[in-house]
Amino acid sequence: MKKLTYIKILSMAFILGSCNKALDLKPFQSIDQSQALLTSSDVQITLVGAYNKMSNGNLYGGNVYLQPDLMATQSIIQWSGTFQGLTQMVTQTIPINNVFVDSTWTDGYSVINSVNNVLSALDKVNAADKARVEGEAKFIRGMTYFDLVRMFGRSYNDGDPAANLGVPIVLTPTRAVDASSFVSRATVAQVYQQAISDLTTAESKLPADNSFYADQNSASAILARLYLQKGDYPNAAAEATKVISSGKYKLNANYADEFPYPGRSATHVDNTSEDIFAIQFTAQTVNIFNFNGLNAEYASSNDAGRGEIAINQSFINEFSANDTRKALFYDDAGSLRTDKFSNVYGNLHVIRLAELYLIRAEANLRISAASAIGDTPVNDVNQVRNRAGIAPLAAVTVNDVLTERRHELCFEGGFFLHDAKRTQQNVNGLPFNSPKLVWPIPETEMNANPKLVQNPGY
Amino acid sequence: MKKILPAILSLFLFASLAYGQNRVITGKVTDQKDGSPLPGVSVTVKGKTIGTQTNVDGSYSLSVTPDVKTLTFNFIGYREANLAITGTTLNVALSEDSKQLSEVVVVGYGTQTRQNLTGSIASVSSKDIEETPVTSFEQAIQGKMAGVLIQADNGKLGQGIKISVRGVASISAGTQPLVVLDGIIVNNEDLSNAGFAGPSDQLADINFDDIESIDVLKDAAAAAIYGARASNGVIILTSKKGKAGTAKVNFTAQFGKSTPSGNRQFMNTAQWLAIEEAAGAGRAKLDFATQDPNNPTFPTLDSALTFYKNSVETHFTRYAAGSTDWTRYNTNWEDQAYQSAPQAQYDLNLSGGSDKVTYFIGGQYLDQTGILVGNRFKRYSARINLDSKLSKIFEVGMNFDFANTLNKRVANDDGFNTPLQIVALSPVTPVIDPRSGLISGSLPGPASNYPLYYNPLLDVGNAYFHTTVYRTLGNVFGNLQLARGLNFRTEFGIDQGNHNEDSYFGSLTFRNTGTPNGSGENTNTTILHYTVNNYFSYKNVFKQDHSLDVTAGTSYEYYHNMLNDVDGRQFPSDAYKEIASAALINGGTSQQSEYSFVSYFSRVNYAYKSKYLVSLSARTDASSRFGANNRYGFFPAGSVGWILSEEKFLKNVSYLSNLKIKASYGLTGNGETGNYASLGLFSGSAGYNGSAGQAPVQIANPNLKWESTAQLDLGLEVGFFNNRLSATFDYYNKATRNLLLNVNIPATTGFVVQTQNLGRLFNKGVEVVLSSENLVGKFRWTTNINFAYNQNRVTFLNGQVISGGNLNYVIEGQPIGVFWGPEYAGVDPANGNALYYTNTKNSDGTLNKTKTSEYNSAQNVVLGNPTPKYTGGITNTFTYAGIDLSLSFQGVYGNKIYNGGGQYMSANASNGYDNQTIDQLNYWKKPGDITNVPEPRLFAANGTNPSSRYLSDGSYIRLKTASLGYTLPKAWLAKMKVDKIRVFVNGFNLFKITPYKGWDPEVNADFSASNISLGNDFYSAPQPRTITFGVNVGL
Repeated sequence: MKKLTYIKILSMAFILGSCNKALDLKPFQSIDQSQALLTSSDVQITLVGAYNKMSNGNLYGGNVYLQPDLMATQSIIQWSGTFQGLTQMVTQTIPINNVFVDSTWTDGYSVINSVNNVLSALDKVNAADKARVEGEAKFIRGMTYFDLVRMFGRSYNDGDPAANLGVPIVLTPTRAVDASSFVSRATVAQVYQQAISDLTTAESKLPADNSFYADQNSASAILARLYLQKGDYPNAAAEATKVISSGKYKLNANYADEFPYPGRSATHVDNTSEDIFAIQFTAQTVNIFNFNGLNAEYASSNDAGRGEIAINQSFINEFSANDTRKALFYDDAGSLRTDKFSNVYGNLHVIRLAELYLIRAEANLRISAASAIGDTPVNDVNQVRNRAGIAPLAAVTVNDVLTERRHELCFEGGFFLHDAKRTQQNVNGLPFNSPKLVWPIPETEMNANPKLVQNPGY
Repeated sequence: MKKILPAILSLFLFASLAYGQNRVITGKVTDQKDGSPLPGVSVTVKGKTIGTQTNVDGSYSLSVTPDVKTLTFNFIGYREANLAITGTTLNVALSEDSKQLSEVVVVGYGTQTRQNLTGSIASVSSKDIEETPVTSFEQAIQGKMAGVLIQADNGKLGQGIKISVRGVASISAGTQPLVVLDGIIVNNEDLSNAGFAGPSDQLADINFDDIESIDVLKDAAAAAIYGARASNGVIILTSKKGKAGTAKVNFTAQFGKSTPSGNRQFMNTAQWLAIEEAAGAGRAKLDFATQDPNNPTFPTLDSALTFYKNSVETHFTRYAAGSTDWTRYNTNWEDQAYQSAPQAQYDLNLSGGSDKVTYFIGGQYLDQTGILVGNRFKRYSARINLDSKLSKIFEVGMNFDFANTLNKRVANDDGFNTPLQIVALSPVTPVIDPRSGLISGSLPGPASNYPLYYNPLLDVGNAYFHTTVYRTLGNVFGNLQLARGLNFRTEFGIDQGNHNEDSYFGSLTFRNTGTPNGSGENTNTTILHYTVNNYFSYKNVFKQDHSLDVTAGTSYEYYHNMLNDVDGRQFPSDAYKEIASAALINGGTSQQSEYSFVSYFSRVNYAYKSKYLVSLSARTDASSRFGANNRYGFFPAGSVGWILSEEKFLKNVSYLSNLKIKASYGLTGNGETGNYASLGLFSGSAGYNGSAGQAPVQIANPNLKWESTAQLDLGLEVGFFNNRLSATFDYYNKATRNLLLNVNIPATTGFVVQTQNLGRLFNKGVEVVLSSENLVGKFRWTTNINFAYNQNRVTFLNGQVISGGNLNYVIEGQPIGVFWGPEYAGVDPANGNALYYTNTKNSDGTLNKTKTSEYNSAQNVVLGNPTPKYTGGITNTFTYAGIDLSLSFQGVYGNKIYNGGGQYMSANASNGYDNQTIDQLNYWKKPGDITNVPEPRLFAANGTNPSSRYLSDGSYIRLKTASLGYTLPKAWLAKMKVDKIRVFVNGFNLFKITPYKGWDPEVNADFSASNISLGNDFYSAPQPRTITFGVNVGL
């Protein structure tokens, strides 16, 4: 009996003693959100985390520029890809459960939430860093909203942007799911306004130079692109002029230098003199968790790509014989490819100087000569043409500028779709305002949030 | 344990009573089958509790009073014998009886006789599965237990395999049953780290030749003692133990070969050339019709036709290795995906012991080659089970299994380099490129876009992915008898594993890896998983009529997982394969994770007059996985049974040997969610270009708690003619609520899901088991049939629709993973467009069956269920004069399979140059054609979007296992001093009957398989068809 009592006590002691301590296990690789934003450094590493997220292949790591082009290059490329979601873009039949559309949406708002975390804790940031941190955060948020609204909303020049639905605007970090998590879509005009407001604030807060992170010029450059898309030409010209006249950037001597691939061996290369803002890729960031979206589809499998896009000879024939930009096309064992994205660890150019010259030229051509800003359109266009090794033009029209954009910036920024929309050109037989050229709100998002209204045609 | 424990108990009950008689009966008890002595048989005076047990040589001696006329001989697993006393010697040969009601069933923390069970437990014993030529025990028991559905992802060795007990009861949390081996919780969480090869079967480390019995606890009465771990059922494995007696040696060797059990037919060169030409023309017509009229690409239709004809024919030449004679080669690529697949297996075990110490030592070497090129699995295992009675009341022991497995794995079904994706290559492409004399796609030579895709054959010899596991599964225990019937048991069990994945992809695989000079990865995962159980058990019979069995105790479980990984690229040459040689270290990580459970459990079984049975059990579980607010869960269950056949009014019905009705109800839980699912978390793995960063990764839910399942079970057991014919029927209703659901939240929050306790579903069904000894005597024929019907319904999700990829969804009112999507309506005879039913709702509620070629105008409708409604198996065993034959069929009915690869392989050549299945020949050619295959249009996706076009009936019945053996007569062997020699031939998956046109209807593509993504085929390998020859020798 004594023995029995002894064992009973022993076993009970074992269990009760171990209980709460044994159950209180904390994660190893992550920390509780309540401990994440306590110091200035905490906020700054969260900002770095936002860059990490925006560099995702589904976003500025490539797809945010690949996908609009896939929807509008039917006569320019031959698609032979196996991702059904991308084929659906090529065939202009995008169902509501397209996985790439879904990724752009969810990853886009994931970046926005990261940035909102940064902005919510600005008071923790050292005075010396505060303006820069706010500026970078708002740059990322503003640009992300601009790219989301371009895909998920009707074009700014299509009907009434103050009535057309854009995307929901979320400006605070999510700590819990509650009624406020169920947001409605803002109008296209409201989202543009939010993007302008964020980018303008960024422009005013950011330093003129900020290493490979966003600086003042990055914000001005994206603003210029935005104003052009919106049809606000005076502002587009003004913002482009800020960047050009900053003197910080100059065109590479050779066009090919903008796409460095030293020794045709994949390696990270720092920004070129022409890059205003670029996503930094390295051998460590391009891996199974992340990818270089443009390399994946455009590059040959000799260069780590999937080689799923061949360029039609007819497009290459558009270039004049001595255009050095033509050298960026090559024959990959029977398929013509662009060599722009062959360096899988090469940076992804979000925006570069040549585009700013062309933005300013077009904007100045579209406004009265009296209110034109900066150099003349013909000079701006010839800057680009000279570098490409082709004869300067004596005079330029808007169409000349558009052609120059097509040849200078092809496959880089989704301009085949975005330019067609703002200039109201047909896209492979579809009118610029066809609902098929506007992405659906993803099915899972529609299911998760009853306040959302689906786009027409879906 | 199962055989010894009752023997010990009966010893205690009877030994003290055997005195004061005046006649001594002696004799020997042997096994009727082979004449071997049976130790431990209880010998009692019929109708009394006076008796003894046979000793190690099967002999006994019992004093009885003169009035005793008959002795009763009882032994687990053998038919009871009642023999009249004639003289002083009484020998008896007992015959085996697998269905005897006194059979002991292993339950949680104890055992029970089958007769007294009120829970629902399915059992398979070792002799039903031994020598099955498969990798893991799950494959061996497939189709042998009612309501236990076992489905392999595909036919790769050691690949993921899903078990569902009475249906799938969770949408986002775990669905796999708890696996307990000798009281130790076995880790069954997939440790495969890389997305390379898909999930692996963690139970393939277990040598099932060591396993004595497999008991599956199905209802709440049986399983609730495992509380929060029990909602998906519990599989209890009990390893073989030694028996007192002379040492026995058992050796088995078998050798055989596997071949694919199914194939799919693809086009030959002429057929493929024709459909691709048609695809070019179809695309030209489409482009011409849809181009921008203001800025036409093609001025005339002819110019479009010429453009695409040239384009297509350029590709023909490319894929025909540069030959303009495209018909030069006619390669059947599917054949190239397979290899000659021999296998060998050796099992040796020794067992025996004395009254004090018993032992079982088992060893195995298994070497299986998979049907897919490059796939191979080896297992070495050694087991030592020891049981020692240190004194009359104190017993200690250990059960240890050491295993080393090596799995040479192949890429998951989604990889361009998985062997079966080879079928996409064009038949015009030669295996050996005549330009280089090397395998097509090798360097030097055109390799960036020749052949069509990366050639999986390049992985053979140039790449490997080896998973090496060292695993120790075992326990030590002590059992102390505190008083008569009262025992205290303490056991400490561990599952310790080192799981290493070492891979290297050589320079020739560059097209698949995107890395020119080789890449390698090494991932090491170490787990420590231990279980400590301490419990009291008390068994006694009061006043002959009141039988009581009480168990109460505590359990603590702890799991710790440590992972490290390194990735390297740029190797000096393919001769260097270890990351030590990588010039570029491009990735690395180390991670840890842990969880714990603290539990208290108890159970009371009470029987009155051996016919009224009551059982109550309860468990309280607490886990680190849940927030402090809801950390504890309480899981009670109760059950009653009534053995009517013991009642006076039925006792005289001679043909009725058993009739029992039972009912149970109880709660079980499921806590198989993320280890830190309730917390709001930031992760530090968010650096950018060399700067450290952090980012939010998970949203908090401090109220997270257990998923709970209330289960009702009503059962009937009936036996006739001394149980020669027996049947059990069960009806169950498992209602699960507070699902641990990954609820889709608006992604505008920055998160996609939050784990919430939301949702309800149920599984309702019936299970029938029939077993019959059709013929007894010299020619013996037995039949066992099991059948189950399960209805799975999600009843509440707060209106959510959850996608599982492809057409799988979770929707209220439908089974988990229901196929939901556009309904294919064939082809427009006028223009060859693929059509879909719009299926919009009419005002009267019916569906509008108007056809449309606009894919996006077709509304989603329910298209089928990926999970079979009916499952079952039937085993027939015949024995005659040393010859034994056993045939086990297994089948499922009522499910559909979605061919995810259909968009490429059965795409009327509208998705590129992939070779097409033969059924695509019937494509639309001209207006007026009536067909189901749309017009080929190169890369224009005509009809290739997900729809019911790619759904097929997945029902099947197959001869899962077959064995034919011959046991040499005892008389011959006696001279050689050999106990037993049996020669046998075993077959696995010998044939199947199915309407499914793919490789194999037992399929769920490994890379996508989840709780929701079910019934998908994606270049998934068929099950192997294996035939082995072997010999079993007993000494």
